[in-house]
Amino acid sequence: MSVLELDLRLPLARYELSVAATLGPAVAVLGPSGAGKSSLVEAIAGLRPARGRIVLGGRVLLDGDTRLAPERRRVGWVPQEGALFPHLSVRRNVEFAAAGADRAPGFEAVVEALELGALLERSPRHLSGGERRRVALARALRAGSELLLLDEPTAGLDPARARQALHGIRELRERFGVPLLVVTHREDEALALADEVLLLDEGRVTAHGSARQALRAARLPGVAAHGVNVAPGEVRAHDAEGGVTLVVLDEGHEVSIPHSPELAVGGAIVLAADAEDVLVASEEPRGLSARNAFRVELTGLVEEAGAVLVEAGQWRALLTAAAARSLGLAPGASAWLVVKTHGWRVVA
Amino acid sequence: MSADLSLLFFTAQVAALATLLVLGPGVLLAWALSRPAWRGRSLVEALVSLPLVLPPTAVGLTLLWLLGRRGPVGSFLHEHLGLDVAFTWKAVVVSTAVMSLPLLVRSARAAFEEVDPRLVGVARTLGRSPLRAFVEVQVPLAWRGLLAGTVLAFARALGEFGATILVAGNIPGRTQTLATGLYQRVQAGDDAGALRLAGLAAALAFAALLAVEVLQRRRERSLER
Repeated sequence: MSVLELDLRLPLARYELSVAATLGPAVAVLGPSGAGKSSLVEAIAGLRPARGRIVLGGRVLLDGDTRLAPERRRVGWVPQEGALFPHLSVRRNVEFAAAGADRAPGFEAVVEALELGALLERSPRHLSGGERRRVALARALRAGSELLLLDEPTAGLDPARARQALHGIRELRERFGVPLLVVTHREDEALALADEVLLLDEGRVTAHGSARQALRAARLPGVAAHGVNVAPGEVRAHDAEGGVTLVVLDEGHEVSIPHSPELAVGGAIVLAADAEDVLVASEEPRGLSARNAFRVELTGLVEEAGAVLVEAGQWRALLTAAAARSLGLAPGASAWLVVKTHGWRVVA
Repeated sequence: MSADLSLLFFTAQVAALATLLVLGPGVLLAWALSRPAWRGRSLVEALVSLPLVLPPTAVGLTLLWLLGRRGPVGSFLHEHLGLDVAFTWKAVVVSTAVMSLPLLVRSARAAFEEVDPRLVGVARTLGRSPLRAFVEVQVPLAWRGLLAGTVLAFARALGEFGATILVAGNIPGRTQTLATGLYQRVQAGDDAGALRLAGLAAALAFAALLAVEVLQRRRERSLER
């Protein structure tokens, strides 16, 4: 489903950023810092001069003869750290945009979804980083935005708060159905929030596609690192004595992760494990906690510079070339993947 | 003594009027100058700051030429509105206003530039026109700086001498201010009278500057919070 059509060129300090893509409802713009991600977002919001064409849900925001002012684009911008109005209470921040937004979700709904009830009369000066971002999200939603632009939604948050933030954003996406475009430099964040990834580097799109495709394409040149496996699942039980929490992945495997009592049993979560932390065995491993080993069918092997990226459906494991050879791996063969308990982390 | 006080009141009144006169245009100018570069910005900036660096008497001379009965502005006002400005209290207001404007504009501009530009951007995406974003976001966040600039402009207006004496003269009871009155008393050898005026001027200016200081201190504290 096409939500946003971009064909943009915008001058940056060191180069011209050029992006042409048709994007769906949940997009992550991924790239190193300085790649032009924030500039792209500001151009979509109309806050930075750009040439080209932007169409949002069939409405032309920018082309040859049209250049809608930011106030007429109905695009919600949530900059890093939220950028709340420091002279207004949380309530007045959220209500800042309410005037004339008849398509917008109601105040109560937004406040409840973002759990702002207890914060309404507070000043933004006295909020934590996570709270500020929630208020900023509420403010953008309440404005009836037809697209939310989130710039580094977890920058500066500790891992637990980052996880809560991502979890909250996923819930919002489901509840309000507002398309998202998330700027991030973290793969796991991109995978947790988006179905589609646009990779930017030095002003150019280096890959675009479904999240997994784009990330795989991006890894090929130069490889070596940073394949992330991301899997949604549900919390099954806690075992405090054993030091683990059991999670059933949506695809059926049961895995154990480090004990995380703050996760609600029955709640939806997203796990991530780096490809470097996934072991591959050609036979069923023995004498090993059965839980974190599961059988898969190999779908591809990508060799590059002494390393082999083993692909099995959505799973990826990074092995040394020597290890891959000694295992005799080939596409179509069965194998077991092993992720140790501490190899898992909770992303959202 | 009552002559001293009436001089004090006249000077304070004129300075207040001059400050009111420049407040609106000064704040708008400061805002325009704080916005991203536009054509002619440097020119406007230089023109506004000119009275700061010119000899005040040169500014006074220019105003006298403009506002005199045969000057381009003065003749228009005289013919169409029957208004004479030069050598009246109105000339005192105009000359002090022109001399105070740069101080107000510079403070206000600095205050606007301190406001996080992302806040203005967010306000725009939330449906505000540039002017409404200015009124609802920039002005409330810059208000201490605006107030400090206003007080500074007022203090400058209180002490204006060179421009005033050229375009308004030094007519006791009509255009004489603390500054020009002091000068006249010195010329006439009334040192005690001149000293009393100096004391009054110092007290007034000191109060105004103290107010600026206190406001800026509070602003710094509010920024730290």
